Amino acid sequence: MATTETPDTAERPPAAPTGRPDRRTGRRKGPEKLLTHRAARWVDTRLGTANLARTALNKVFPDHWSFMIGELALYCFVVLLLTGVYLTFFFDPSTELTTYTGSYEPLQGVEMTRAYASSLDLSFDVRAGLVMRQIHHWAALLFVASIVVHLARVFFTGAFRKPRELNWVIGVLLLILAIFNGLFGYSLLDDQLSGTGLRIIYSITLSVPVVGTWAASLLFGGEFPGPDIIERLYVIHILLVPAIIVVLLTAHLAIIVRQKHTQFPGPGRREDNVVGERMWPTYAAKALGLFFLTGAVLAFLGGVFQINPIWLYGPFEPADVSSASQPDWYMGWLDGALRIMPGWEVRAFGYEVPNPFFPGVLLAGLTFGLLFAWPFLEARVTGDHAHHHLDDRPRQRPVRTALGVATLTFYVILFLGGAADVLAQTFGLSVNALLWTFRFAVLLAPPLTGWVAYRLCKELSARDGVPTASQVRVRDIPRRLRHGKAADEAPDEESPAPAPAEMS
Amino acid sequence: MSIRPSGRRARVLALALPVAAAVALTPVMAGAQEPTGAPGERPGSASSTEPTDEELLARGQQLYTTGCVTCHGADGGGRRDGPDGELRGPTLENAGEAAAYYYLSTGRMPLANSEEQPNRKEPAYNDDEIDALVAYVASLGDGPDLPEVDVAAGELPAGGEIYRQNCQQCHQASGSGGALSYGRAAPNLHPADPAEIAAAVRVGPNQMPVFGPEFISDSELDDLIRYVEYLDDPADPGGVPIGRTGPIPEGFVAWIVGMVALLVLTSWIGTRAAIRRKGHP
Amino acid sequence: MTSDPRTDDSRVADENIDDRPALRSPASQHPPQTGEAVLTKRGERAERSAATAFFVSMLGALGLAVVYWEGGQPQLEGILLAVALGGIGTGIVLWAKHFMPSDEVEEDRHPLESTEEVMEAYATDFEAGESSLRSRRLLIATGGGACAALGLAVLFPIRSLGPRPGRDLKRTPFAEGNLRVVREDGSPIRPENLPDDGFVTAWPDGHTDAADAPTLLIRLREDQEFRPREGREDWTVDNVVAFSKLCTHAGCPVGLYQAEIGQLLCPCHQSTFDVLDSCRPIFGPAARSLPQLPLALDREGYLIATGDFSDPTGPGFWDRDR
Repeated sequence: MATTETPDTAERPPAAPTGRPDRRTGRRKGPEKLLTHRAARWVDTRLGTANLARTALNKVFPDHWSFMIGELALYCFVVLLLTGVYLTFFFDPSTELTTYTGSYEPLQGVEMTRAYASSLDLSFDVRAGLVMRQIHHWAALLFVASIVVHLARVFFTGAFRKPRELNWVIGVLLLILAIFNGLFGYSLLDDQLSGTGLRIIYSITLSVPVVGTWAASLLFGGEFPGPDIIERLYVIHILLVPAIIVVLLTAHLAIIVRQKHTQFPGPGRREDNVVGERMWPTYAAKALGLFFLTGAVLAFLGGVFQINPIWLYGPFEPADVSSASQPDWYMGWLDGALRIMPGWEVRAFGYEVPNPFFPGVLLAGLTFGLLFAWPFLEARVTGDHAHHHLDDRPRQRPVRTALGVATLTFYVILFLGGAADVLAQTFGLSVNALLWTFRFAVLLAPPLTGWVAYRLCKELSARDGVPTASQVRVRDIPRRLRHGKAADEAPDEESPAPAPAEMS
Repeated sequence: MSIRPSGRRARVLALALPVAAAVALTPVMAGAQEPTGAPGERPGSASSTEPTDEELLARGQQLYTTGCVTCHGADGGGRRDGPDGELRGPTLENAGEAAAYYYLSTGRMPLANSEEQPNRKEPAYNDDEIDALVAYVASLGDGPDLPEVDVAAGELPAGGEIYRQNCQQCHQASGSGGALSYGRAAPNLHPADPAEIAAAVRVGPNQMPVFGPEFISDSELDDLIRYVEYLDDPADPGGVPIGRTGPIPEGFVAWIVGMVALLVLTSWIGTRAAIRRKGHP
Repeated sequence: MTSDPRTDDSRVADENIDDRPALRSPASQHPPQTGEAVLTKRGERAERSAATAFFVSMLGALGLAVVYWEGGQPQLEGILLAVALGGIGTGIVLWAKHFMPSDEVEEDRHPLESTEEVMEAYATDFEAGESSLRSRRLLIATGGGACAALGLAVLFPIRSLGPRPGRDLKRTPFAEGNLRVVREDGSPIRPENLPDDGFVTAWPDGHTDAADAPTLLIRLREDQEFRPREGREDWTVDNVVAFSKLCTHAGCPVGLYQAEIGQLLCPCHQSTFDVLDSCRPIFGPAARSLPQLPLALDREGYLIATGDFSDPTGPGFWDRDR
């Protein structure tokens, strides 16, 4: 028979039927009567799925490990759903006042909302409640982190190019939804820290010209703190946003299946094929294994590292605040932008555009706007409208890589700006000096790191002997690959990855 | 060559990073404390042979003359560099028992250089000497006495409320301290003992405002101090507290421990075990 | 039987004798086998490791159940859950890496775009239906109008979500006039009870939960020279000044009073206000001074506010100055 390709098994003896012996004849029935086959037949008789299932089994996945980073985000989301459902059984989003009678002594007899009290109960008086809450919160932090790493992988390898622009847009939407859902989630507990955050959100909403006061009043149900915000955020957090995420995720995955995943160039890998592992059993098993391992990391974090100790923060009081008040990391860039922004406001004709609008709304809008537009921007600037199924190596696209590195630097510095008071206190520095440093750094460091990245790409490319994108001229590219038609003829002989027009 | 890390060794090394971070973070962030001063004792409470008031005052004056007069002037009147110069040391007329005790037992005074910010360090004087100096400074004028503190009588929940209304904005919700302007800082409260806390509340040393008995009564002060002492070792049911300063350390842990671990695992899974490739194009 | 070239790679390959072995059906490359396989040395090790991982996972799950039964403990719960999940994950991954086929296979990418004929056929079918829609202009206009009107109408319930912003943003309960300035517990305040460098949060009498009205009372020292704004020279009582506690940047309470230098620092974004200069912002993103509250004494010597703050409290908004 055919040779096996499994690494650690030698020859196998031929198959033998193993079904239960037939009562009449005593002969064993063939494999057809095994349970899995009977189940498949049962479904197929009703839905005709055998062909579809077979295609799915044989789907080929390119085998680079970095292609599995998106799955990390998916698995974090599943953990969020599972732990989140558990939490909803105990959390009460009401802002009705109550007196705490639970087991955490330093808050006994203190007046607080039902939302905060039920969060304390979850943490101290529901068995496994605290570990569920902590796993949920760590999973949220890692959900956004995985999306960001995945986005970076897709960006630096150019996997967002035609025909995948739509999937990129869906991905950026997922990022925004993940960030907002995290923000709304930790704001539900009505503790001092997250309440301070809500106050800032209210003020940013208020700062929008013309409609800001209306938007803030409608969202919060009145002037801050507003009686309704916790209950509304609850519905948005457990129902609306997760539902939209599920729909978008499904579309995201369906598009990948339809278009097939990209792959790195290599032996036998071309624009018109996919080389890798089959879905069944190998890739499916690896994906399942990664899911369990992700769950394990999250469970470990949730049990071992304390996160969001709301009992230390106390219930939210609008006139109180703690030093070292920061949002969760994925909002840190916004907080940093608010801190390093100089005290400029625009006032004219009796109207004003207050300070928080510029970093809070404009910068945020610009950030996500650019993210959405990037595939289309790049295509327009490079004039490259071809289909691409081969990934770039970042060094081959020095300008794109440099811009990506510069952008990451920009947001990392904003994040550090948001941590300025913690940094000042930890290292004995002046918070004012730090903020001034970050004001300059946020403008000067990105071009610097971008330039370093650019030179590194050029250097590495030169060493590899592979030309960068700008070094391959348009007329060297086969015509049929220039204008958006996928290759349907016999492929070229070995040539450097057909990289289209100049990018510089 | 490519993005792929070069094999197993790289992965093991990469996994070492979150493990090392986790191990390092545990003691460092489980409420690292500043070097503590000697635990302050209330004046007149530890000496085996009680000196008389006159002896105490005399001793105090003698110590004052050697250690304090250069900046605070004779008779505690304060001292300037020349008639209109920089203030080297303020007048101690209304400092009182409380201020003297606070500054001396936390080692903030004597201050070598009047330009620098007084931070907690090892006290320069032992308990008896501190008693003497405190008595002397108290005799200079009419400042606040050291409050009587009964920590055991304090109520934890009430203390928590007072702390969150008055103290957390500078000293942070868990007492780890906070940055003020231009390099000053509200200190970490963990090394402070009840007498020091009481003194500081009534004296308002350095940048701290003064919280008088009309606004935090003596029994409320007991509550407050009980809560601050609780913050020295609060309940951490969630595990390693990573500093109790909120989302910044949490974000670092998420990336350095969580994300690195996940990426290492992903790269382990995604890389295929070495196989013999059979005749592929 | 028609086969769809887009989903049927392996079946198409089956029908052609192809010299690319990878495109043959997996069934011919890895015929389903049952019965004991003979393992290589490394395979035996891998199998042992995977089995151990599964076994350790079982122990973890058992431990988790025991811990929960005995009352629960978060660290143990997390670690044991991690062991249970991690053991299964490790076992599956080892199984996949060592015992599942890992040969490189190849699949064609068929062009995603449909052929011209298909596109034209689609266009024809669509236009056939569309003509009956397009030709009835009156119906399109009125139908479209009806849908738009309905769409607009259903937006109106959004209005119920909250009150009109109106005057509330620009006034606090102090606007009633001559309200006492009281502590959190409602008790009134005598200025002489506030020591030098004293710092207290206070509220309008009867409205100690008004989130737009928390007020800072600060007693300045004799050596501190307070510079009032024009027209506010009599807004202080006996060195006691009153300012809104809400930062004019984003509304956080400006709680850090640096008594020696007379500056207020907001912990959220580090806006700094010079109290001696009527809380003018001197650092950070705040652009406006903290509103000041006009203080006076009532007949019994308690602090009162003669009117509302000098400006709307809290962060800015579009029509704040109107």
